[in-house]
Amino acid sequence: MNRRGPVLLIALLLLTALLASFLYGRRSREYTSDQFLMDTLISIKVYGSDPENLRMAVNAAYTEMHRIAELADSFPHPGTAAFAGSDVCRINQQAGIAPVPVNPDTLAMLQLAKKYCELSGGAFDVTIGPLMDLWGFGKIPHIPPPEEIRAALALVGNQDLLLDEIKQTAFLRRRGMKLDLGAIAKGYATEKALQSLKKSGIRKALIDAGGNIRVLGRNPHNSPWRIGIKDPRKSDGIVAILSLEDAAAVTSGDYYRFFEVDGKRYHHILDPRTGYPAVENMAVTAISSDAGIADVLSTVFFVLPAETALKTAAGLGEKVFIVTADHRILYSPSLAANIELLPGTAYRYEQGR
Amino acid sequence: MNRADKFLLAGILLVSLLSLMGMYGLFSSAVNTTQAIVVVRGAIIRRITLPVAGKSTFVVQGRVGAATVEIEGDRVRMREAHCSGQVCVNQGWVSHPGQTIVCIPGEILVRIEGAAAVDAITR
Amino acid sequence: MKRFGTHRVVFLALLIAMGTALHVVEALLPIPLPIPGVKLGLANIVTLLAIYLYGFRDGLTVALMRVLLGSLIGGVFLAPGFLLGICGAFFSTLVMAALLRYTRCFTVIGISMAGAVGHNLGQLLAASLLLQSSAIIFYLPVLILAGIPSGIFTGYLLKTLIEHNHKTGILNYYNS
Repeated sequence: MNRRGPVLLIALLLLTALLASFLYGRRSREYTSDQFLMDTLISIKVYGSDPENLRMAVNAAYTEMHRIAELADSFPHPGTAAFAGSDVCRINQQAGIAPVPVNPDTLAMLQLAKKYCELSGGAFDVTIGPLMDLWGFGKIPHIPPPEEIRAALALVGNQDLLLDEIKQTAFLRRRGMKLDLGAIAKGYATEKALQSLKKSGIRKALIDAGGNIRVLGRNPHNSPWRIGIKDPRKSDGIVAILSLEDAAAVTSGDYYRFFEVDGKRYHHILDPRTGYPAVENMAVTAISSDAGIADVLSTVFFVLPAETALKTAAGLGEKVFIVTADHRILYSPSLAANIELLPGTAYRYEQGR
Repeated sequence: MNRADKFLLAGILLVSLLSLMGMYGLFSSAVNTTQAIVVVRGAIIRRITLPVAGKSTFVVQGRVGAATVEIEGDRVRMREAHCSGQVCVNQGWVSHPGQTIVCIPGEILVRIEGAAAVDAITR
Repeated sequence: MKRFGTHRVVFLALLIAMGTALHVVEALLPIPLPIPGVKLGLANIVTLLAIYLYGFRDGLTVALMRVLLGSLIGGVFLAPGFLLGICGAFFSTLVMAALLRYTRCFTVIGISMAGAVGHNLGQLLAASLLLQSSAIIFYLPVLILAGIPSGIFTGYLLKTLIEHNHKTGILNYYNS
């Protein structure tokens, strides 16, 4: 053996070591950040190779969420800075008085709400504020007397929300009307945050906004993100696992905010047509490519009967997973390839149709 | 195959073995332990490896007063909290990686971390 | 050796054709590795023969041409597998040419083995760039090991060919 053999072997060893360290240096890093915002916990997880870039991208995403949260905040008192910053508060205050110039994002949210209100035949209505106040969710919930519900129902009406795209204004036509963006703002803000991450060059991310999930790209193992759907009656269980890429999954459930009177459950998702909590379903998960749309649709489909919801979803090209009040589980046929059911005894799984 | 070839073969095997060991060393930090992590107002205050023997409770100071976290075996719950909604208490036990208990008024977060079957849960 | 010897040009073309055929056949063989496009590198045999006869430059030509033609035929031109193939072919050619030129101690089996390992490392490098993921670094040990049997196999084939050549001198004809 001449002297070159060992030298080359060492070179080969070095080359391998170099390659390994190069690959290690390029490994995906995770950055997670939690913030309490919009009455919930927002958790953003991003992956990439440069930690500083990840941190800055997440901060920018939170800034975007804060901005939307401020526009849609409905609680501050008149006269405070938060009130002046909230388009929703100003629209509510000017109800029956004058159109209010609003931020393009507020207008976009209201247009989204209006569109799906009309599409669902009024199963979802963004002007549901008076009813929500009456039931007192968020404060001290109670069953209101029927005549008060009738009075509040009279103040709910999507047709009296006037949006002017040219002047960028929004107007509630009648005094006493009130917007409630609870079913849309979180999803819209989540989508905005995700778009901000994308703009910062992030290609893998998961935003969990109090159970509203939006994913970007694939998970760190380079397979689709696995998103569990919570069992509406068991704190510790999930009923199915979704495989998602670049999509949002938002669930509306009767278990999040509720109270019970004489064994009957009263929850916070009200049917704007009756004034009472919707009774068809326990939990509905809407899956869409846009978190804002998924958020609205989860409420729309929650209020509708399961069969109608499935048909509506198919018509819109969106996907839905439903746990009905009578313990049935139904889902869109288009979900079949992306869903793993975890059959238990509590529910009857029915093939989607 | 001559002597040099065998030497090369041994070298390749060695490199493969070394890289295997390196791999194990680099990534062994991500072994399958499950931990409960308690975060109060943005700071991690406790990290408990599950399961624990028997039952134990401890008190954390949230933004709106004290809250009692209970750990029993492999599961965790918020036993008592001085918040208005009591959402965290009503949530009951959690034990699977990816699950969280959140007290929004208190800004308390209990998160189960570990090798999860899912990346997140929609609820 | 004439730079543009007709025999040489013809034989290079033959090698490219054989390499392309091997490349395509190889693509049809299922490999139980979860990285798309990773192959055993049986087509390295023609690359090594080209280097053995004509040196690094022609070896590289043969290697790259067979990846190009093979992927065109397989319908994966410019697909992820194509990039993996190019990177693997380049690395293995580099390693084998260096060993042939600067060492005297290895037999073709050893050189082919080193080439196969280099082939796999090149593919891993390309895959990691392509997937933007470090997860596949886990396959490093497996891929290094996987190079050994295929390297020995191709090396043995070439050794038989060269021994045959010593008896008949058939390759010398193409080397003129």
